[in-house]
Amino acid sequence: MRLRARTATLVLAASLACATGIAAQSSGEYDVKAAYLYNFAKFVEWPSESFPSRDAPFAICVLGQDPFGQGLDNIVQGERVQGRPLIVRRLKGWDGAELCHILFVSASVQQDFDQLLGGHTFRRTLTVGDVPQFLTAGGHISFFLEGSSVRFAIHRANVARTDLQISSKLMRVARLEGDAR
Amino acid sequence: MIQWLRDLPIRRKLMAVITATSAVALVLASGMLLAWDVVRFKADLRDDLETLTTIIADNTTASLEFNDPAAAAETLWALKAKPEITAAGIYRPNGELFAAYEPSGGAGLPHGRLTDGLRDLEGAVEIVGPIVLNGQRIGTIYVRSSVAELYQRLRTRILTVALVLLAAWLLTFLLSSWLQRLVADPLLRLADTARAVSAHQNYGLRATPHGKDEIGVLVTAFNDMLSQIERRDAALLSAKDTLEHRVADRTAQLSAELIERQRTERELEVRNDELEQTNRELDDFAYIASHDLKEPLRGIHNYSRFLIEDYADRFDEDGRAKLETLTRLSRRMETLIDSLLHYSRLGRTDLALDEVDVQEVVDDVVDRLGISLREQNIEVRIARRLPVIQSDRVRLGEVFANLITNAIKYNDKPQRWIEIGVLDAPGAVGGDPSGEHTFYVRDNGIGIPERHLDTVFRIFKRLHGRDRFGGGTGAGLTIVRKIVERHHGRVWIESRPDEGTTVFFTLRKGN
Repeated sequence: MRLRARTATLVLAASLACATGIAAQSSGEYDVKAAYLYNFAKFVEWPSESFPSRDAPFAICVLGQDPFGQGLDNIVQGERVQGRPLIVRRLKGWDGAELCHILFVSASVQQDFDQLLGGHTFRRTLTVGDVPQFLTAGGHISFFLEGSSVRFAIHRANVARTDLQISSKLMRVARLEGDAR
Repeated sequence: MIQWLRDLPIRRKLMAVITATSAVALVLASGMLLAWDVVRFKADLRDDLETLTTIIADNTTASLEFNDPAAAAETLWALKAKPEITAAGIYRPNGELFAAYEPSGGAGLPHGRLTDGLRDLEGAVEIVGPIVLNGQRIGTIYVRSSVAELYQRLRTRILTVALVLLAAWLLTFLLSSWLQRLVADPLLRLADTARAVSAHQNYGLRATPHGKDEIGVLVTAFNDMLSQIERRDAALLSAKDTLEHRVADRTAQLSAELIERQRTERELEVRNDELEQTNRELDDFAYIASHDLKEPLRGIHNYSRFLIEDYADRFDEDGRAKLETLTRLSRRMETLIDSLLHYSRLGRTDLALDEVDVQEVVDDVVDRLGISLREQNIEVRIARRLPVIQSDRVRLGEVFANLITNAIKYNDKPQRWIEIGVLDAPGAVGGDPSGEHTFYVRDNGIGIPERHLDTVFRIFKRLHGRDRFGGGTGAGLTIVRKIVERHHGRVWIESRPDEGTTVFFTLRKGN
């Protein structure tokens, strides 16, 4: 149980978590969601083919209108996941979305969910949505609010069709939807 | 303690040794086992606790990251399967309690920032560890485990070990009480035999033979020793018997000899007394006889002289010759009687003992006989100066006179000599006053045949015709012997016919 303090991030994450508990509805909500996006990277395994090179960066992409502002950039700043540096990309359209590792689909692109085609399009990209319909459209994870807390649901059947491995730990803290069969 | 142990019978000693040794070994082994158990139990407990903590920590990472205390609590409540866990908690990095597990109510989870590590509490152990994700500490886990179960396990273990120990020791005791006979019994038998031998001095007893181990060797050696003692005893006894017999025999023999000797001595004494008596009587008789015989003989001689002087013309030639013979014979008879008288007087009168210079005596005698010696041209040799002794001067002179006269008489050699000397008895040379001198008178005369060496001492015994070698009564050597014997000396003669005679006699140096 080696303790390695990355104080800046820790304090930030903690303060964010605290903040969500108190005033999730406000601007803090998307800070929490940004932190969760980053956290997903720690509980999901991507196949090595999804990285063009050994030190290729881990890409978190935002499609549609960006609700995080600088928040997401602040969180991933200087962090590494599985030894890789994190980068944030903002996409204008679906083109190149399959090269992202985590793809956050903003509520603004609601009408284009059909693009997900029941998850068939993204085998190596974890898709995260912000509305409940996202999962039925074929998305993997969708945020929702439980009281003032930010929670998320995982659609197991959609995930099962990808090459991604989601940790059971993540499953335990998520609401599960969609039978894996 | 040590003395008491030393006096303990060997049976008990052996058992004590075996049981004590095994007890020590058992207790030591059990103690080590228990100590090891305690150490291992504790280590196991720590390992288990650490593993458990790590697993829980790992399983609560997502809960922490996604701010889901309910999920964390759910994970913690899985600890229900482990009753020894009395409390557990997940803390945020700032020390705020995130999720708690307190099965028996609010047992007091610690608050605030906790220090990592494992700590022993009263009846419990607590562990504080980090919750790490992706190399970052995202929280802290706290777990408290009761050690009651550990102690219960230990108690059970101790009881088991104690029971096993007791059983093993009992078995050892039984085994030793059976096995000690292997060693003790032969020794005890040997000891019994030794005691019996020493108590009754009976060396005929034997120890029961045993195997070939050291005790067997001891038994054999002991038996051999007994045999040797027995043999030696027998030999000693027989030697003693033999010795006693021999001593008894010799004693009997000696006492018999002693009695015999005493008897002989008494007989000799009596015989001696008788002889002395007879001798005295003989001397008396000889004196009286000769003295009384002289008287008529004198008459016969005188009357025969008267006849020759006064009536010579009335006898013819033949008659006168017979008268001459009568006179001569009567004179001779007188001489013989005188000699006899003299001899008998020697036995009757006491010696006049005095310091006498023998040299002087001999010189006197030679002087007196000087004419005769010169006439016959005889050389007298005296080898060395003769000593001074205690003697009767006159009688000693008589001895030398007789011997020298004999030496002069019985010699037909043209060159005649007489040697007078003294020999010192070997071993009695010089200063011994009780010793004796051996004097001798030697000549180169006619000698005496060996068969006559004894008879010459008989009175009136002459070896030759009456008138040969100057005549004589034949009493000389008899008188010599008488005088010497009265001086408690001895006389003997050595002689070779035609070569010479030596007469030896011994005389005491002093009184």
